[in-house]
Amino acid sequence: MSAHASDKFVYHEPGLQHQFEDMKQQEESVSIGMWLFLAQEIMFFGGLFTAYLVYRSRYPMAFAAASNHLDAFWGGLNTLVLIVSSLTMALTVYYAQKSNRNMQVIMIILTMIFGAVFLGVKGIEYTDKYHHGLVPMAGLNQRVKADKNAHHETEKPCWEVDRNAPPAVHPNPRGEFLWTDCSLAKLAQDENILTPSERFGYYSGGQIDIEKFKGIVRIFYYLYFVMTGLHALHMIIGLGLMTWLLWTAWKGNYNSEYYMPVEMSGLYWHFVDIVWIFLFPLLYLLGRHFNH
Amino acid sequence: MQSADVIGSGFSETPKLNYLTNGTTLKSWLLTKDHKRIAIMYLISVSVFFLMGGIYAATIRLELLTPASDLLETGTYNKVFTQHGILMIFFFLIPSIPAVLGNFLLPIMIGAKDLALPRINLLSLYLYWLGGAIALYGLMQGGVDTGWTFYTPYSTTFSNSYVLAVGVGIFINGFSSILTGLNFIVTIHTMRAPGMTWFRLPLFVWAMYAVSLVMILGTPVVAITVLLVAIERVARVGIFDPAIGGDPILFQHMFWFYSHPAVYIMVLPGMGVVSELISNFSRKKIFGYEFIAFSSIAIAVFGFLVWGHHMFVSGQSIYASMVFSFLTMVVAIPSAIKMFNWTATLYKGSIDFSTPMLYGLGFMGLFLIGGLTGLYLGAIGLTVHLTDTYYVVSHFHYVMVGGQVVAYLGGLHYWWPKMTGKMYSEFWGKTSAMLVFVGFNLTFFPQLILGYMGMPRRYAAYPPEMQVLNIFSTAGASVLGIGMLMPVVYLLHSLVYGKPAGDNPWRLPGLEWRTSSPPPTENFEKMPVVTWEAYEFGEDNGLDLEEDRRRDLAPVG
Repeated sequence: MSAHASDKFVYHEPGLQHQFEDMKQQEESVSIGMWLFLAQEIMFFGGLFTAYLVYRSRYPMAFAAASNHLDAFWGGLNTLVLIVSSLTMALTVYYAQKSNRNMQVIMIILTMIFGAVFLGVKGIEYTDKYHHGLVPMAGLNQRVKADKNAHHETEKPCWEVDRNAPPAVHPNPRGEFLWTDCSLAKLAQDENILTPSERFGYYSGGQIDIEKFKGIVRIFYYLYFVMTGLHALHMIIGLGLMTWLLWTAWKGNYNSEYYMPVEMSGLYWHFVDIVWIFLFPLLYLLGRHFNH
Repeated sequence: MQSADVIGSGFSETPKLNYLTNGTTLKSWLLTKDHKRIAIMYLISVSVFFLMGGIYAATIRLELLTPASDLLETGTYNKVFTQHGILMIFFFLIPSIPAVLGNFLLPIMIGAKDLALPRINLLSLYLYWLGGAIALYGLMQGGVDTGWTFYTPYSTTFSNSYVLAVGVGIFINGFSSILTGLNFIVTIHTMRAPGMTWFRLPLFVWAMYAVSLVMILGTPVVAITVLLVAIERVARVGIFDPAIGGDPILFQHMFWFYSHPAVYIMVLPGMGVVSELISNFSRKKIFGYEFIAFSSIAIAVFGFLVWGHHMFVSGQSIYASMVFSFLTMVVAIPSAIKMFNWTATLYKGSIDFSTPMLYGLGFMGLFLIGGLTGLYLGAIGLTVHLTDTYYVVSHFHYVMVGGQVVAYLGGLHYWWPKMTGKMYSEFWGKTSAMLVFVGFNLTFFPQLILGYMGMPRRYAAYPPEMQVLNIFSTAGASVLGIGMLMPVVYLLHSLVYGKPAGDNPWRLPGLEWRTSSPPPTENFEKMPVVTWEAYEFGEDNGLDLEEDRRRDLAPVG
């Protein structure tokens, strides 16, 4: 057959790899490969979702309290941005199939802009966590010196903290993880809806222990940073793919005969979007009704 | 028929370029996209790791020769058994058959020019090297003492060893395994030659398909688990370490969700090789082809549902344990289906006791013991007595060494003439096969008894009354070690002094025997067209074996 080494000077279709007989075989192979890669990705994120679900089902109140400090506005905006970027990505594939080079390039640039906006918003959110002592690793938060002249507030029990007040900046000389509010645990205690894990996970000596509560809030933020961080890493890899795609599309490589790389990059891009579609409600929305 | 032409090609006057002679620079090896060259590089690499793991094993057995902990300190002993496990499992057993034999043979067996994604294949080799190098760096720096399972809090609070480096090595190596599996599935789906239908595939290919499924769906879970442990160690925050509010049982669930299926990553390819050996060296069509094929898939699927049987005494709910125990028993069914079908294939076969077949039959015996002892361990009552004893150690060595390593050696001998074009010494081959079988049983059968007597695993010292059986075990390990080292000598010897093997030394109908030895870079001169069933020893398989035999017996040249 045509692609054997013995007759290697036979005309090849552009983009056809040596091991394939024809374009159709190559397209099928690449496509199955990409879907399997995405299956692998689902299992990879699946481990994280499992960890999230286990802890959330054990400690719904701590998770609701922690979730309340994520800004659903920014999260929602990012969801919108990503959904629109999926549209522009889908249009990229469409215009590649129509052999329309200029529209391909425009759509890829738009997709990249939306991707960058997403990462920018994520940066705003991470900075906000940095300022409010919500990064779970000690030393990675903003260091705020204790103000010696300030009027020393009388320590209120943690369950009397107003959870709907705007987040304040507390003294934090070592940049540690800060958390002072356990009012949701109190609420659950009063309503008698504590889970068995919560019954011993929040209490020491019959009293709600803010340190124990804080430990679980910290687990939420740990999961938040790992999940969104890995997702952002996938976005950055996606932007790298898009840069390459932009370059090759600019050269006019893709047309109705050959557009596999566009379609495969699109699959990857949509997958990363879908991960966010799950992350957003789990991290930002679940449990908000306890607060409002 | 064209396949006869291909057979003849080995006897033609002008020497043709094969995959070994087609480019001899270092660059032509390191940047190759040829699956066969990648397989050879894997072969060398896994052999190095196997040797290192073997040295650790020898050290363990030496230490256990005497009841006191005299050769090694207990802390050093912890590192030795941990590193034995890590090297053997992640860097030898998991890549051995898929990455070496699978890489080499899968495209040839289905009549393809290469794997579907050759660059990805090369990438997975480099990931393997990178992961291996990082893990070795960790071992050189001071090693790990957590046990190969990295249980928290051993791997978090209480470990001062290089868990991070080794964890990163395993993480990277995992992606090598994922990409290999991905490549195999794509290749089997899209690269089959004309006429090579699903039910004409050699059973080795079915096993590779099943094992690839497990690799793709299981490995990412352990990757994320190892990543979380690494972050937990660096950031001192996490979900696994009880000291900071985490749950070690969650770690065990996530770890075994991969690492139990990983057992099937290790043994399924062995079953695939043995299916080839048993049928081909009995000169008989395999009994129950479809059953063996689907039992591979069934093992892969059920393998994902039994991880909890590693956690019967860890504090998992008793109801979960009952379900896991039941499902563990269920896995025995597809494994038994294979055993019965192999036995039925042997029945009235024309059995040829060549070296590969000796390994194949050895596999059947050893895997039988490995599988049956697994049933004891799967029973929730009995397992309380046997957990963390040498019974467990012996059980999984029967499956991994008695199963996988023996099958790997069998496969290596079986396809060696194809890979190198040279025939090794049959006498030394048979001798080493028998030494491995005897040495293995002598090493590990006493351990079954020791475990039943209650000798715990992972201790450098033991009560003096257990010494006799331990001496047996160490003596057996010496025999096993010699049996394993011998192939290194006579296989390497055969490369230079071995007789030319010819294209089809075993006179078999499989597609890999219808090309020259060693195969050309593009595997076949012409695209093969498959018109015969798998393991068809009849007249109508396009292969005149009698003619071939006469020609081979005639003096060459």
